[in-house]
Amino acid sequence: MTFPLFGHDLFGGYTGYVVGTLVGIAFGFTLERGGFGSARILTAQFYLTNMRVLKVMFSAVATCAAGMALLAATGLLDLSLVTIPETFLGPQIVGGFLFGIGFIVSGYCPGTGVVATASGNVDALLTIGGMMGGSLLFGAFYGPIEKFYLSGAMGVLTLPGVLGVPSAVVAAGVVAMAIGAFIGAEKVEAIFCKKTGDPVPQANPKTRNAVFSGLGATVAVSLVFAFLPKAPPVATARPVDQIGAAALAEEVVTAPESFWLVDVRGEAVAAKDRIPGAIALPAGTKGDDLLAQLPAGRTLVLYGQKELTSLPKGAAKFPGKIALLRGGYEAFQAAYLVKPAPPAEATPVLVAEYRMRTALYQRFTGVRSVPEPVQIQIKSTAGAASAPKKGGGC
Amino acid sequence: MEQIEPVERPLWNPYVAGAVLGLVLLASYLVMGFGLGASGATNRLAIGAAWCVAPHAVETNAYFAPYAGPGKKILDDWLVFEVLGVLLGGFLAAYSGGRLKLNVQKGPRIARTQRLLLAVLGGVLMGVAARLARGCASGQALTGGAALSVGSWIFMMMFFAGAYLFAPLLRKQWR
Repeated sequence: MTFPLFGHDLFGGYTGYVVGTLVGIAFGFTLERGGFGSARILTAQFYLTNMRVLKVMFSAVATCAAGMALLAATGLLDLSLVTIPETFLGPQIVGGFLFGIGFIVSGYCPGTGVVATASGNVDALLTIGGMMGGSLLFGAFYGPIEKFYLSGAMGVLTLPGVLGVPSAVVAAGVVAMAIGAFIGAEKVEAIFCKKTGDPVPQANPKTRNAVFSGLGATVAVSLVFAFLPKAPPVATARPVDQIGAAALAEEVVTAPESFWLVDVRGEAVAAKDRIPGAIALPAGTKGDDLLAQLPAGRTLVLYGQKELTSLPKGAAKFPGKIALLRGGYEAFQAAYLVKPAPPAEATPVLVAEYRMRTALYQRFTGVRSVPEPVQIQIKSTAGAASAPKKGGGC
Repeated sequence: MEQIEPVERPLWNPYVAGAVLGLVLLASYLVMGFGLGASGATNRLAIGAAWCVAPHAVETNAYFAPYAGPGKKILDDWLVFEVLGVLLGGFLAAYSGGRLKLNVQKGPRIARTQRLLLAVLGGVLMGVAARLARGCASGQALTGGAALSVGSWIFMMMFFAGAYLFAPLLRKQWR
């Protein structure tokens, strides 16, 4: 089982609302205890006398980034299933700047405004009213600004993606930067509080150092995991079964609805010959999407020309059971797609197997042919079979 | 019966508060697969309110149309519930912390009405800005920042830049 849990289709929409409310309660409670219910504390950040905004916000970003990096590096979190805000360069530069102005004018941001309202601050309630007005204003003037609103679209763009490094490296950088900023912020507070006569904010240094050490340790462990040599995915990523040619042939005939059979040799090869019922895997991301979107109720059986040694990328996202065909297409072909030769010796087991293979050969290839008669060499053993029995059991 | 006045509990150590906030955000990512937000909910509330007054105007507006209309439930969204939770959580914390009281947050040198006008004005600015940037301090700076999104970090830097540049102009309101 990997995170995020919602990706596994475990619960429906209303459970999400319960989770949302609970997460919101924790979010609101923490913001208030962090001091974010007070506009005077929030704005003191920008007069350099109390840098709580920077401290709380950057520790939160660093904690979550380090946690996600650790879980991603150990394979517990599938980052591809996580929704990351998309980048729209121009709108976010202008929007961020305007938002900053709005923050220092009103004293709140939307989230802290809700918490401050819950603490009884009338100004915060008015700020939320203003924000709702701003939403409507934006909609009313959407026509002329639409072009700019949609400009600079870069999709999901992450720092690890741009830099081409594991997220653990960027998370380590964020943690280092945050700790540096915190130490700087405490120095700046001391200087400016002396000037203005405000009390210097005190934070228990022992607790502070404990948080710093925790962050440092988390990113250090994630870095180790991120750079550990990874074992081949088939061996470690998830349990993958093997299925033999005979078992697969039986399944194809008797229970075709119990599995997805996917030919990973490419569409061109599979178009010529493939195991009956197999889906040819399209190349590239189209194929990955196909594998990820197959319903999980059936076993996903994959085969290549020879035995597969690694899974296609998209198979990792298939939520159900996966099996690989032992020996690949060649093994199946040799067993059931070429006309079987009659057994050299006519023991009952061999004859039965020969008949079964012939039947499957006919079925899979459409070639109608009766099994050739098996030459039965009757060895005359005089004596033993010479005297016909009379009578018989009644 | 000694103690009737609620004692104001001290705020948490900012680094501890930040770490807890980060864990709440991480929990949201691990359970739901996405992070926190706030302005998305006020946006939906605003559209819902406008729809009650002038449904036709809302449904024909290019920006609002995806939210409102036949078969669409404007307030049927995870964020709306999350922000209701924020309201409840903030109330519980303020009440238990002894900080729950009717108040207007301002510096000593500004009149109450002026302060309230600025509160609305700043709200309008943020309302527009959050739509343009597709998120606010929660949805972009915090949530996207933790997911290491490039746009979110740009938003965060610009947010601090805007606030620092305009802080001297508004000194009278806060100091």
